Amino acid sequence: MENNAYVEIRGLQKFYPHKDGKIFRKPGEEKPLVKAVDGVSLSIQRGEILGVIGESGCGKSTLGRLLVRLEDPTSGDVLIDGVSTAQMLKKDPKHFRRQVQIVFQNPFDTFTPRDTIQKILLRPLKHHNIGKDTEERLEIIRKALEAGGLRPAEDIMSRYPHELSGGQLQRISIIRAMFLNPGFIIADEPVSMLDVSVRAEIINMLLDLARNHNAALVFISHDIALTRYISDNIAVMYLGRIVEYGSADEVIRNPQHPYTRALISNCASVDPFETREEINIEGEPPTPINPGPGCYFAPRCYMATEECFQKYPEPVDLGNGHYAVCSKVNCAACGKCNPSNSNA
Amino acid sequence: MKRFFNKTLSALRSDAQLRVGVIGLALLFLIVIFGSVIATHDPYFYGPDSLAAPGQNGHLLGTNHMGQDVFSMLVYGVRTSLMVAITASMISGVLGIIIGGAGGYFGGKVDVVISELINVFLLIPTFFLIMLIVSLFGSDIRNVMIVIGLTTWSSNAKLMRAQALSLRERTFVKSAIALGETKLQVLVKYILPNGIFPVVANTTRGMAGAILTEASLSFLGLGDPNVISWGQMIYQGKQYITTAWWITAFSGIAVIITVIIFYMLGDGLNHVLNPKYSQGGK
Repeated sequence: MENNAYVEIRGLQKFYPHKDGKIFRKPGEEKPLVKAVDGVSLSIQRGEILGVIGESGCGKSTLGRLLVRLEDPTSGDVLIDGVSTAQMLKKDPKHFRRQVQIVFQNPFDTFTPRDTIQKILLRPLKHHNIGKDTEERLEIIRKALEAGGLRPAEDIMSRYPHELSGGQLQRISIIRAMFLNPGFIIADEPVSMLDVSVRAEIINMLLDLARNHNAALVFISHDIALTRYISDNIAVMYLGRIVEYGSADEVIRNPQHPYTRALISNCASVDPFETREEINIEGEPPTPINPGPGCYFAPRCYMATEECFQKYPEPVDLGNGHYAVCSKVNCAACGKCNPSNSNA
Repeated sequence: MKRFFNKTLSALRSDAQLRVGVIGLALLFLIVIFGSVIATHDPYFYGPDSLAAPGQNGHLLGTNHMGQDVFSMLVYGVRTSLMVAITASMISGVLGIIIGGAGGYFGGKVDVVISELINVFLLIPTFFLIMLIVSLFGSDIRNVMIVIGLTTWSSNAKLMRAQALSLRERTFVKSAIALGETKLQVLVKYILPNGIFPVVANTTRGMAGAILTEASLSFLGLGDPNVISWGQMIYQGKQYITTAWWITAFSGIAVIITVIIFYMLGDGLNHVLNPKYSQGGK
C-alpha cells in the first residue's frame, strides 16, 4: 500500500492472556492467548473514511482503542504523518491526544455524571490551552454547540448529562472531540445506541466535521449498509485480522472473501425483490483463543479444503487496491465470482 | 446549590432512617453548642454531695462518687464523643479513599501491594492494637482519635478499591484519557468523586464504631483522664453500681443513643446514595 499515507498502521497486534486456571503446564506448552487484534496493517489518507466491519468480538473495538492508545499494542505501531505514535506518546502525549480523537459507542456514559456540560466541555479546552481565558472558552463552546444544532446553547451548558437525550449527548461528544482539531478520528459504532430517527443527523454531522477538518476517519460498525454509504474504503475483520480490504463499492458489490460474502448475504436489503443467495455459515461462533494454524475462518467456511487448515493464506491482490486474504481467491482475472459457481 | 438542597430534601423525605439520623445529629450538635447553657452544674466541679440520687439537691440525674453532676457530665461528654467520632472517621475515610482509589485505579503491582495491605489490616485484631498503642504512647484523647482512625481505614479502602476497579472501565474515564488527562487528574476528578458515596456511608457508620471504641478504651481505664467521656463514667461508676445505679445507667444510655444515631445516619446515607435503592431520578 502507498507510503504517503497520512495514517499507517503497521502489524498492530494485541494479545490478552487467557486465564484458564492452569498453574502448571507441560514443557513447551504455550500459554493460551486471546488474540483480539492479530496483525492489522492498513493505511489511511487524509480526508479518507475507512469503514471497519465484522461481527461482534472480531476485534473492531479493540482496534479502535489501540489506535487512540487507550491500550498499548502487544506489537506493531501506528504512524501518523510518518511519525511513530509510540514515540509521540513518550515525547509529547498532549500532542498525540490532539491528533487522534475517538467518539465512543455509548453517549450516556461518555460524560462524568456529576458535572454540567459546561464544566465537561471546559476541561479539554483548558487542558490543551485553547482559548485565552474562561470567557473566551465559553464563547468557543457556545459557538460549537450552536453550530452543532444544540440550541439554546446556554440551556444545554447548564444541564447534567442525564438530562439530555442520546442524540444530544453524541453530538456533544463529537463536538468535544473536534475541539482539539484532530487529524485522525476513530468513531467506534457512534450511532448503534441511538434512536434510528437521529442516526442520520449524527452521521452527517460527524462526516461534515471530518470533511471540514480534512481528517482521516475510521468508522467502526457492524451496520454494513451504513458503512457502505459513508465510507471510501472498507476493511472486513474476522478474529482480529483483516480478511478483505478495498473500496466500499468493490467490497460490497463484489466481495471475494467467503466471510465477506456470507456477511453481506445475510445483511437485510431495502429492495425486497433483490435476488440474493443467502449463505449460512456453520459452526460455533469462534473464540480468538489460539486460533490457527490455518485460515482462522476455515472451520466455518463453506469453501474450505484441506490446505486451508494448514497455513494462513497470503493476501491476494485483485486490482484497484482490492485485497482478499483467502487461498481460494484466484480468479482476479475472471471477475465473475459469486458463491454459487465457486461452490461447484 | 438549589438543586442540591432539593435533592437533600427529597432524600430526607424518602428515607426514615436518614431522617432519624439527621435529626439526632442536629440535636447532638445543639447540645455541643449550647452545652454550657444546658448543663446545670460545672461537670469538673467536685461538689459536696457525693452519690446523690437523681433529683436530689437540684442534681437532675444525681451525682457520682466525687460529687460531680451526672447530667452535666453527660452533656459535656457529647463533645468528646462527637470529636472522637468525626476526627477518627475522617482520618479513616480519607486514608481509605486515597489508598483504595489508587489501588483500584492504577492496578498492577500497586494494586497487589495495596490489597495485601488492606487484608493485613483487616486481619489484625484492631482493638488490641489500639489498646497496645494507647498504653504505650499515653492515653491523650488525640492519640486515641488518631489510632482509631489509623486502624479502621481498611474497610473504607476495600470499598473504594472496588469502586475504582469498576469506574476505570467506564466510558467517561476512557474519554478523559483520550482527551489527554493525566492519570492523577483522572483519579482525582473522575474516580474519586464518582466512587466516594458508598465510602461516605460506610465512614458514617464507622463513626458509631469509633464512639464505641473510645468508650471501651475509657471503660478499661485507658481513656484520657482530662476529658469527660461516657466510657469513663461507666468505668468509674461500676463499683457503685449497686448503690448508685444512675452513674452507669445514664451514661450507658447516652452511648447507645449516640451510636444508634450514627448508625441510622450511615445506613440512611447508604440507602439514599446507593443507586439500587434510589427510585427513578439519579
